[in-house]
Amino acid sequence: MAVAAPAHANYHDHIHPEPTNFVQKYIFSLDHKIIGIQYFITTFIFYCIAGLLAEVIRVQLLHPTGGFVSNEVYNQVYSVHGSAMVWLVIIPMLTGGFGNFVMPLMIGARDVAFPWLNMASFWMFPVAGALLFSSFLVGAPEAGWTEYPPISLQGPPGTSLWCMAIFLVGVSSTLTGINFLVTIMKMRAPGMTLTRMPLFVWAQLATAMLSMVATTALAGALLALFLERTFGVPFYDPSKGGSPLLWQHMFWFYSHPAVYIMILPAFGIVSEILPTFTRKPLFGYKAVAFSSVGIALVGFMVWAHHMFTSGMVPWLTLPFMILTFFVAVPTGVKVLAWIATLWGGRIRFTAAMLFSLGLIATFTLGGITGVFLAAVPADLHEHGTYFVVAHFHYVLFGGSVFGIFAGMYFWWPKMTGKLMSERLAVAHFWATFIGFNLTFFPMHWLGLMGMPRRVPIYDQQFQSLNVLASIGSFILALSTLLFFANVAYSLTKGKKASSDPWGARTLEWMISSPPPYYNFKKIPSVLALPYDFGEPLPYVGGDLIRPNPQSKFAGE
Amino acid sequence: MAVGAIVHGTPSDAHDEPVDSLYAETRDMRLLGFVLFLISDVVLFSAFIFAYLYLRNSVPQWPPLGADGKQLPRFDTLFAAVNSVVLFGSGATMHFALESWKHGAKKAFNAWMASTIILGSLFLAGQAYEYIHAKVTWAGSTIGASFFTLTGMHGFHVLVGVIYLIVLMGQANSGVYTKLKHFGLTAGTLYWHFVDVIWVALFTLFYLI
Repeated sequence: MAVAAPAHANYHDHIHPEPTNFVQKYIFSLDHKIIGIQYFITTFIFYCIAGLLAEVIRVQLLHPTGGFVSNEVYNQVYSVHGSAMVWLVIIPMLTGGFGNFVMPLMIGARDVAFPWLNMASFWMFPVAGALLFSSFLVGAPEAGWTEYPPISLQGPPGTSLWCMAIFLVGVSSTLTGINFLVTIMKMRAPGMTLTRMPLFVWAQLATAMLSMVATTALAGALLALFLERTFGVPFYDPSKGGSPLLWQHMFWFYSHPAVYIMILPAFGIVSEILPTFTRKPLFGYKAVAFSSVGIALVGFMVWAHHMFTSGMVPWLTLPFMILTFFVAVPTGVKVLAWIATLWGGRIRFTAAMLFSLGLIATFTLGGITGVFLAAVPADLHEHGTYFVVAHFHYVLFGGSVFGIFAGMYFWWPKMTGKLMSERLAVAHFWATFIGFNLTFFPMHWLGLMGMPRRVPIYDQQFQSLNVLASIGSFILALSTLLFFANVAYSLTKGKKASSDPWGARTLEWMISSPPPYYNFKKIPSVLALPYDFGEPLPYVGGDLIRPNPQSKFAGE
Repeated sequence: MAVGAIVHGTPSDAHDEPVDSLYAETRDMRLLGFVLFLISDVVLFSAFIFAYLYLRNSVPQWPPLGADGKQLPRFDTLFAAVNSVVLFGSGATMHFALESWKHGAKKAFNAWMASTIILGSLFLAGQAYEYIHAKVTWAGSTIGASFFTLTGMHGFHVLVGVIYLIVLMGQANSGVYTKLKHFGLTAGTLYWHFVDVIWVALFTLFYLI
């Protein structure tokens, strides 16, 4: 690169040398920034496919007798929709995408600990996507994203492809977790102690611990299901001494922590955006940081709250109910800390900020219905109804996906060196926010009225609310187009971004946009937390670009 | 190591430090990464051990009844005990192999490595013998399902280990490692001990209780 000054001509010897040909640079890249962007591109493609599957569901449910697709296809559609959104979109985008692009920059590193492993983890992931979506060719899985046996044992051949795809995503996720843990523990810039790490890095640390430990448990469950489907090895089939409940225990031992894998990085994104756009330090830094780890730890002990109606030993329900209530404590700490950060701040309603505020509102609603569902007496009534669907979409869309869009608007200038249109972005937020609530709020009522989930036809009385939800979902789908329009606009006509367009203070904003191949020519030393906006920058050494005092937001 | 040194130094020292010592892939990064990989592997085994104990506790007697209504036989503890001694013995020889390398005793290293590889292969042969003469089948009962899946996964790990050790031995003899820099050998030793520890659990679960 032309930037290479002779005095530091050897810096690129100390990461993998900069590639010169297209394939090494953009396809099989070792650079965490390129790999992060590869994750974004792949996950957004999968997001569109899985989103279209959701629209198939909503079109089918426009009418009580359905009729848009057959019952079998309907089952396949919601099963693949759920699996794809969880494993091919939200988890890889938040860990592989944001984690890869942002985390090493934030800790002042030149790359992750094991760049080769990082590349391998990425390339497993499109293969998994191809496996999962191609299952439609042979009959996709029909038993929902949870694939409970014995239905999944009798399911079409695509169920085995589903096993392979999720297994592969699991391997990729485990390796990424190991990679990120080593990176965060061993590669922080001098002076960046654990309690000086940006909160997004804390979130990635907690997430990496979860994905490293929990995902292999899921791999075991999947392997057993695959063996039973292929060779008839009895684990889950009750007619051969197996137990369907065993799958539920093994599945949820992973899949409940997976809920936190999907939400903690989004929390981390919000914790970066709020201080930046209120010009205030985050309220209760340590409380927010440790609550991520707290959520991760408690998250391992609550899995059986998904199984209250499964016929599990009754005395187990009480401890699992109480433990689940405990998750609300660290989560509540975060929400209160965010609100306290807003208090008295000079708030700028950029798109990233709007999505963060939207997340706080909608996620809190989803969290509260989570507490309802954790209460055994309420759950016995609500389990398996649309109330559950409403709950987890408020958490996963209103939480994770809002966090994803907040992060996209926040870090887009850093990734591409171009600004997006704020106007279009704000329009995107309102369309998404309205479309989202219109789609999923009525589902609370539908659930409480008794409409079961995963049905292709339903009782007449539920029609008006279902039509409302479907209209909302069409708005939601169209709102995504505004985002892609903004991407196209920014890449072609967008204004050039400065190194720090938002006046943020974490390390990634102290280098040019997009960052050079080696990230930091000299590694800076860190003296304090990055959130004290009134104070001088807490970095010494390095060759950081200081914020331009003339810029709109600097020095506020 | 250099990262730690600099954290305690004055911050202005930082950019005088040559960059490579800060950002090379250091031994402790590899060690942490490898240990984390082993932990995640332990979880994989734990998942199947949980499945085994769950299925075992869901029937009144263990081993469960076969298709003919008669209780299935227990596994041959004596044979497995002898085979376990072979595997644990290979753990000891592996330890001596690494120690010899650290002391620069190349000849002893090769002898200990070769005996580790032979003992590992013997264990695999023993397991194959046990599979052939087993009175339960993989798909026939829950005890067979757990037994063949868990010991099969373990056997696969031993097989990978044997191949890994052969590669390490070749690398060591072609000058890849030095007396001080030999992370590959350390990792190989860790892995081999890990395989031993897993076998302690499996032996207890299937043969003793």
